[in-house]
Amino acid sequence: MARHNLGTVIGFEFVRTVTKRRFWIGTLAVPVIMAIVFGLIFLSNTTTDTAAEAQKSAQFRISYTDASGLVTAGDAALFRARPAGSPDAGIRAVQSGTVDAYFDFPAHPESTAVRVYGTDRGIFENGKYGAVAQAMLARAVEQKIASPQLSTLAAGKAQIDTVTFEGSRESGGLGTVVPPLIFLVIFYGLIVLLAGQMLNSTLEEKENRVTEMILTTLKPTTLIAGKVIALFAIGLLQMIVFTSPIVIGALFFPGELSLSALDLPPLIFDPVRMTVGFLILVGGFALFTTTLVAIGAVMPTAKEAGNFMGVMMALIFVPFYAVALMVSDPHAVIVQIFTYFPFSAPVTALLRNGFGSLNLLEAGIVIAILFGGAAVMLRLAVRLFQYGSISYTSKVSIRTALRGGSRRPGSGAAPTTPAG
Amino acid sequence: MDEARVHISGFRMDFGATTVIRDLSFDVQAGETFGFLGSNGSGKTTTIRALLGIYEPTAGILHINGRGFRPEHGDRLGYLPEERGLYKKEKVIDIMTYFGRLKGMDRRAARQWSLAYLDRVALADKASSLLDKLSSGQQQKVQLGVTIMNNPELLILDEPTKGFDPVNRRLLMDIIAGQKRAGATVVMVTHQMEEVERLCDRVILLKDGTAEAYGTIDEVQNKYGGRIIRIKYSGTIPPSPHYAVLLQETNYAELTITDATDEAAILKDLIDDGVTVRSFTTTKVSLEDIFLRVYGDQNEPDVGPPEAGRRTPDGRLSGDNRISRDGA
Ligand SMILES: Nc1ncnc2c1ncn2[C@@H]1O[C@H](COP(=O)(O)OP(=O)(O)OP(=O)(O)O)[C@@H](O)[C@H]1O
Ligand SMILES: [Mg+2]
Repeated sequence: MARHNLGTVIGFEFVRTVTKRRFWIGTLAVPVIMAIVFGLIFLSNTTTDTAAEAQKSAQFRISYTDASGLVTAGDAALFRARPAGSPDAGIRAVQSGTVDAYFDFPAHPESTAVRVYGTDRGIFENGKYGAVAQAMLARAVEQKIASPQLSTLAAGKAQIDTVTFEGSRESGGLGTVVPPLIFLVIFYGLIVLLAGQMLNSTLEEKENRVTEMILTTLKPTTLIAGKVIALFAIGLLQMIVFTSPIVIGALFFPGELSLSALDLPPLIFDPVRMTVGFLILVGGFALFTTTLVAIGAVMPTAKEAGNFMGVMMALIFVPFYAVALMVSDPHAVIVQIFTYFPFSAPVTALLRNGFGSLNLLEAGIVIAILFGGAAVMLRLAVRLFQYGSISYTSKVSIRTALRGGSRRPGSGAAPTTPAG
Repeated sequence: MDEARVHISGFRMDFGATTVIRDLSFDVQAGETFGFLGSNGSGKTTTIRALLGIYEPTAGILHINGRGFRPEHGDRLGYLPEERGLYKKEKVIDIMTYFGRLKGMDRRAARQWSLAYLDRVALADKASSLLDKLSSGQQQKVQLGVTIMNNPELLILDEPTKGFDPVNRRLLMDIIAGQKRAGATVVMVTHQMEEVERLCDRVILLKDGTAEAYGTIDEVQNKYGGRIIRIKYSGTIPPSPHYAVLLQETNYAELTITDATDEAAILKDLIDDGVTVRSFTTTKVSLEDIFLRVYGDQNEPDVGPPEAGRRTPDGRLSGDNRISRDGA
């Protein structure tokens, strides 16, 4: 019966959240914004990429002066640029509109800036002038070197392949770091997205006086556990929606998104680190959720509960202060504290797991701390909810809740007996 | 004692330094309808919450079906709390189905039952409305529906008629009577004494943290003199050790007999004392009368000792004619 009720609670809580319009407005806003941003990036990339070609079809008229002597008449002709009499004449020509741009190549372009003057065409278009000046100079230098191979190398475009070893075994480098760090991203995503909902998850029962009805119908543990699991499912659903534009983009427009430009090494999924990462994620999520639910159970209104949000949020960002130490010296005291203090443990341990500086024993301890802490918090949340529900309007003291909690002993059907 | 649905003994409840229930004991037998009466703040809701494990009792045994109540025991309980409330932003039918499932029905059965119930209470068209779009009385009907889902064997109703108009009050009483016929044990808190007289087999009156009276309605009525004498008269009604004056207007009075004297003897005494009696009828004392008598002196600002017999503004006597409080 209890298991059946747990399923019923999860179903009810999940369905009633995801069938609300508000939920979808909030959830879909993120990928829509992401799509817009990607769109803008894509558009501006297109404009810069085609700048040089656009110039070749002589869309704007260029004049230049060259004190370095690098640009030959041939190079200039390729860009349909005409020499100007003097820098002053060049600038005046731009101002009067006889040319669109004037490039002033200095005597030592390797140390002095090339000055570019142009008619204002708006932010995106203005970028073309510089790109064309750059292209002109590069072309001139290439001609001077007179060897495509040398000019490629001179441009610093040599390909480098690094192989590192852990003992005699080849280690994966960045490729092994990224996959386990995905759990960290998911953790942050879940907590940031759901913290408010976690805090308020029992508020509705309290504000609408549903608690008495609920407390006499099902075990409070079932209710709270059901809510936590439903929240987790809701969070995962949101993550899927959020990442869908990227996944769709990668599947259907792999070229346009040019993900290869990120130059990711092949990802290596180390099963041990992935398992550890997953367990830390689940344990950390459970701990944070039960803690937030417990806080919410004590607070009579959303406003008062909100004050605690800041503290919890700070706790998940604080470990980043020590991120450099985690890589260089994982045994520093501060790293150890962050690793084992339950509320900073998930982020710290996920980072260290990603960097490969968390050994199995440490991982086991952290996971045990997280799950143990979550269990304790669940019990506390349940009791606070039971007692918080009665005094609908005032705060419950934790002492009262813990003392009263002995009323429902874990074992069987203990009767309520006289105290004396 | 074994078949008692509800068994409470030696129950005490303190909130901090305040004792709300001092020492309370009673049983509710399977199949009976039990009235739980008492003035505002006498501790009825507190007792019910302690019985249902919502409050922790300071002392005492509070059992349902022979053990402390826990939802997971699977006792089929229908509880209508004094503080009503359901999920406001959900559809009526979804809320009812949810609770039906929590009470052990399967989804289809819960849905069908709910639709039939909504039809019965004239809310069929509201099944897909959000709860907070319903009037407060309509919400109460939904809540009552949730309470009686899955044929509860024990119904605990804390002021069920609160907020209902007379038509719906009748409907509600019919529904409760139906549950009772189906074999449910009903414990109800109410301030409507006619409802108690019509529905309840036994009652308890809570006062000063303990049972002021406990038993069948007949027993309680007998305890409070059983009968009321209503007389129309002229003259002066003299004090007497045999009766107490409950109400005295210019030409009308209500008396209650305080000892073993019979009514005929009282009539004879009155005539002998020179009172002109124009009509003399006796009726059973109503629960309302008893309620007024038991709690009537509570709201007085006067802080005199309760034993000092004194006449209340509307002519009732208190103190001296009070039946000694011997509890249950
Ligand atoms: N959680 C609580 N904390 C402190 N005092 C409480 C609490 N709950 C109830 N009381 C006190 O206990 C007393 C009895 O309250 P209760 O609600 O049981 O009365 P009641 O008989 O149901 O009254 P009513 O007919 O008005 O519903 C009141 O004086 C009330 O102030
Ligand atoms: Mg009450």
